[in-house]
Amino acid sequence: MGPEMEPPGMDLDEEEEWACGDDAEDQFDRLPDAVLLDVFNRIGDVKALGRCALVSRRFHDLVPLVDSVFVRVDCVIPDDVPQPASPQRLAAAALAAAAAAPAPALAPVATHAPRGGRGGALAHIARILLGGISRPIQALGQILSPAAAAVSRRSPPQPASPPAPAADVSHHSPSEVLRAFKELRRLHIELPTGELGIDDGVLLKWKADFGSTLGSCVILGASSVSSKPPLSPATPPEAAAADSSAAPPDSNRDSEESGALPESLYTNGGLKLRVVWTISSLIAASARHYLLQPIIANHATLDSLNLTDADGQGVLTMDKKQLQELRVRPVSASGSSHRTLMPALSMRLYYAAHVELPGGTLLKGATLVAIRPSEDALREDGGAGAAGSAANSWISNAFEEPYRSAAKVLLKRTPYCLEMNSF
Amino acid sequence: MAAPESGDGNNGAARMVTLISSDNTRFEVEAAAASLSQTLQLTILDGGGGGGDGIPLPNVDSATLSKVLEYCIKHAPAAANGGAPNATAVDRAELERFDNEFVNIDQSVLYSLIMAAHNLEIEGLQSLVAKKVADMIKGKSPMEIRRTLGFPDPTPEEQAEMNAHMLEYGWAYE
Repeated sequence: MGPEMEPPGMDLDEEEEWACGDDAEDQFDRLPDAVLLDVFNRIGDVKALGRCALVSRRFHDLVPLVDSVFVRVDCVIPDDVPQPASPQRLAAAALAAAAAAPAPALAPVATHAPRGGRGGALAHIARILLGGISRPIQALGQILSPAAAAVSRRSPPQPASPPAPAADVSHHSPSEVLRAFKELRRLHIELPTGELGIDDGVLLKWKADFGSTLGSCVILGASSVSSKPPLSPATPPEAAAADSSAAPPDSNRDSEESGALPESLYTNGGLKLRVVWTISSLIAASARHYLLQPIIANHATLDSLNLTDADGQGVLTMDKKQLQELRVRPVSASGSSHRTLMPALSMRLYYAAHVELPGGTLLKGATLVAIRPSEDALREDGGAGAAGSAANSWISNAFEEPYRSAAKVLLKRTPYCLEMNSF
Repeated sequence: MAAPESGDGNNGAARMVTLISSDNTRFEVEAAAASLSQTLQLTILDGGGGGGDGIPLPNVDSATLSKVLEYCIKHAPAAANGGAPNATAVDRAELERFDNEFVNIDQSVLYSLIMAAHNLEIEGLQSLVAKKVADMIKGKSPMEIRRTLGFPDPTPEEQAEMNAHMLEYGWAYE
């Protein structure tokens, strides 16, 4: 790169002595490192950054200093490695427990309870769930590679010598792709889809935070989502949402009014379905968490890590303190499976037959589940009388609007409590 | 003319300061707007820039300074609200619309703005222009990025060097 021309029309040349790039030919290459790095930090997408690194020698030196990266996983390859049957059993066991304890009560769930699942919704979800567990493992194991990965997975091990560049771009794990980035502080990985196969019209969202194991998890579900005919404009959305649970004529049971679970939910499979949602979400979350270990180990500078999916189904977060905790106290796997062992959990399930969202959308069979390790729940409830809206803010703030409003409405209900053993 | 000290006139009209561009054009703006610049803020707090004094900005030409001040004047009310927690959705949408329009400009102007925002340390403007350049880079191949940013074609040596790095960043092409 020889000095060639001065940029026309600008008289900024003499202003500052740049740390480098003084002999660059054009304006943008004369930007100070700090400014270029600021630009690179706003690119986010890891592939765009990778291409940026090949623009020039200077770009190549600067890109690895980027501290904020977004990895969009391109493709997910279904795994045919047989999974331990435990998820299905777990769901069945929890269901059996739930069925056996129709009143709000502690229902200890044995992880090795005999299978008690009966057809219907349970079988359906559990089947999809099994596929679901394996998918994120594959997703993070080999990504950024359509087509080729699916083939190479089946093919014999690659020869030891590095293949030609064309073949080399076949599959890459996030760990591999991120290796160049030595100063990573904020990392966001997005899976192409949520793990949980759900029927059309069903809403299921979860948000979980982890340190070495689960810190908390909030799940919002609804058996159907429908857009309501336009509201009479006289009713402000907030008020409508708050009232809706009592308002619809078809939800006028006494138990509904008092906020307890309606009797029918115990008998019509509604509660079972919700327990399956809960366990499925927890398994998906713990499988995601397990996969993050090598990335966390490789990037000691990380202080924020999010793993989401393009469907907006699940959000896993780890903050600085939690990442630190994991480095000090390594993850325990759940048996031989590829997921993080869940501690004993304390769950509160809130239900409303109808919740209307601010946009006018109507959730039927709306369910909110707030989950914490039993240890933490005991400590906090035993301490300074918990409760109150501040104590519940982690629940109501788990989701963005309009779902936040739904969570707030549901939180006013009387919860159904459930305890689960570690699994 | 004697410059009134900062204490004067604070109760009535907003305090004004004068900024002088590299080509000696004088701009009179509200102190609150100019104070979006971290660089200028201290001087202004010390009572500088009032009356006939003016703050010289030898690094910023008049065309760029007028653009910068357009941004500052628009954003000053929100900034005064401490990041505008009270701002309505309408206000925020209006600022966003303004920002999008604002960076819809020639590359040489954009470059001058980046440098000015950097020198004057105007945080919001820095991030606005950096994001604009980032958007110009996204979704392009290295050669396209070079052309977009007006880099000359790579020398053979540089090309060879980049080819060698292809292995390292090959995944970026999938």
